[in-house]
Amino acid sequence: MVLSEQLPALIVISPLICAFLSPLLYRRHARASAYLVLLSLLLSLVMAAALLIKVQRSGPLFYQMGSWPPPWGIEYVADPLRVYMLLVVVAVSLWIFLYAIQDLGHELREEVIGWYYTLYSLLVASMAAMTLTNDLFNLFVLMEICAITSCAIITIKEDRECLEAGFKYLILSAMGTGCFLLGVAMLYMVTGYLNFDFLQEELSTAVLNYPLNVFTAAALFIVAFGTKAALFPLHVWLPDAHASAPSPSSAMLSGLVIKIYAFTLFIIFYRVFPRSLLDSLPLSEIVLWLAAFGVMFGSIYAMLQTDLKKMLAYSSIGQIAFIFMGIGLDQRLALVGGLYHIAVHAITKAMLFMAAGTVIYATGVRKISDLAGIGRVMPLVMVAFTIGSASMIGIPGTGGLISKWYLALGALESGRSLFVLVILLSSLLNAIYYMPIVINSFMSQEDFGHEAREVPKVLQSALVIGMIFVALTGIFSRPLIQLIEAQITLLF
Amino acid sequence: MELLSGLIDNYYYFVAIILFVIGMHTMLTHSNMIKKVIAMNIMDTSVFLLFVAIGYVHGGRPPIIAGNEEALYVNPLPGALILTGIVVAVSVTAYALSLIVKIHRTYGTVDCDEICKIRGDE
Repeated sequence: MVLSEQLPALIVISPLICAFLSPLLYRRHARASAYLVLLSLLLSLVMAAALLIKVQRSGPLFYQMGSWPPPWGIEYVADPLRVYMLLVVVAVSLWIFLYAIQDLGHELREEVIGWYYTLYSLLVASMAAMTLTNDLFNLFVLMEICAITSCAIITIKEDRECLEAGFKYLILSAMGTGCFLLGVAMLYMVTGYLNFDFLQEELSTAVLNYPLNVFTAAALFIVAFGTKAALFPLHVWLPDAHASAPSPSSAMLSGLVIKIYAFTLFIIFYRVFPRSLLDSLPLSEIVLWLAAFGVMFGSIYAMLQTDLKKMLAYSSIGQIAFIFMGIGLDQRLALVGGLYHIAVHAITKAMLFMAAGTVIYATGVRKISDLAGIGRVMPLVMVAFTIGSASMIGIPGTGGLISKWYLALGALESGRSLFVLVILLSSLLNAIYYMPIVINSFMSQEDFGHEAREVPKVLQSALVIGMIFVALTGIFSRPLIQLIEAQITLLF
Repeated sequence: MELLSGLIDNYYYFVAIILFVIGMHTMLTHSNMIKKVIAMNIMDTSVFLLFVAIGYVHGGRPPIIAGNEEALYVNPLPGALILTGIVVAVSVTAYALSLIVKIHRTYGTVDCDEICKIRGDE
């Protein structure tokens, strides 16, 4: 047994074990419990990086759980694309946790923080496993773990708004998983497999013999992942849930949880459905149009908000739609843009939520109109907010530009210039609602009217890390883009 | 006629789909939270029924090997999967119910519309 071959399982197991240990430890040493979570996430990150180097060197790694061979056993696959997503998940959640250690103290009751660590680790473990799994039923179980834990990190705050938003989220995501499981049943009925590779092979003939089953399954999958990832008409749960949650949860939910479902839909489209199905059904077309509406409506709703966190939540609906647009255009460059946008938006939106959270931590202000002049009181926080806004709009030097650039190139190359217009228009709308906040906070004539306490070092350093990340995705995008591009080329 | 006899032969699929639609409809339209949770369970159970029905082989025996290798067996895999599915559904239900208890404590009602009204008045 070589340790490096067990990496896919170990990456998932490390936060899982931590999930059980941290609340036990929390009773005795609260501080040590937080360090334990940090350590386990760091361990996962190091292992994920090692895994990336390994798969880059020697090709995809197939890992059989408990040595049970597929199609019956559960299989994990580590190819560069999945490991890229895994790295994004683990790295961003490690960074958000750094922020959470300090911020949670003022948002949660002291005795539930240990349980928050459990939920957080479970969430990370389930998302990490979702990027790697190659089995539909395993995916279902992981989706449910992810759904419960992501609801729970909202409702753990136990105030009026959170409870109601959490319940709405739970019901809609239960509907999503119900649809997903029905779709899985439909595919199992005609193929007898749950493993992605076996399914893809079998489906190319099954789609001719039992078209109805496969079509229904495809439609159900779009509904399921659309609900979970807040694709336009199914987004109703998102604004309340993301805005009312504690700030680290908001950053986690908006940054990673919705993206993981978009990524899974991508995997299902290209690794489960055979090419002939995508060509014969307008699946991509449906996703594309929903995404285009999502981009526009998300931005328009965001303009109307008066609450800072709610505005960021609505902005997420617009931004997640860019990723779906990449999937919908079904074109090499657009997919590169869409998948790169996963990393860019995960980092940027997490940072914006952290900046908003820091403002709330220090001053208690949530309303956008009250932010006038705050840039002179808390310069670092608002500089971070400015850089995040720049990336949302797509100003050169930030990651937002790169992903939108590739999306637009892809749209042009497939002859859909209308969507280039949608991308441009949405950037303009983003500028309309992000820029006034930035301008107002630095250049307003009035002074900031509320008391501000000092921002702790941990929160400041988390924001600085975020700014560095955003700049890196903008300036040194080449290696990541090359990695994604090489993998996407294999699909076409 | 062929379609009809096909439907009658596979009536359990039909039942499963009807249950699924009932569950989903109730879950999305009823304002009572307890009913929503019940509907969620109906929906999950309908999919479990469908899954188990897929694995059924007409005239098949329970999949226990008893020396006689030639016998026709029922497919054991869906049963095993659904066992996991039931556990998942139970945990989601438990969480949803505990959430309702908390909501009842804060708002004094378990009706979504009334909660909306309370929130609107604030």
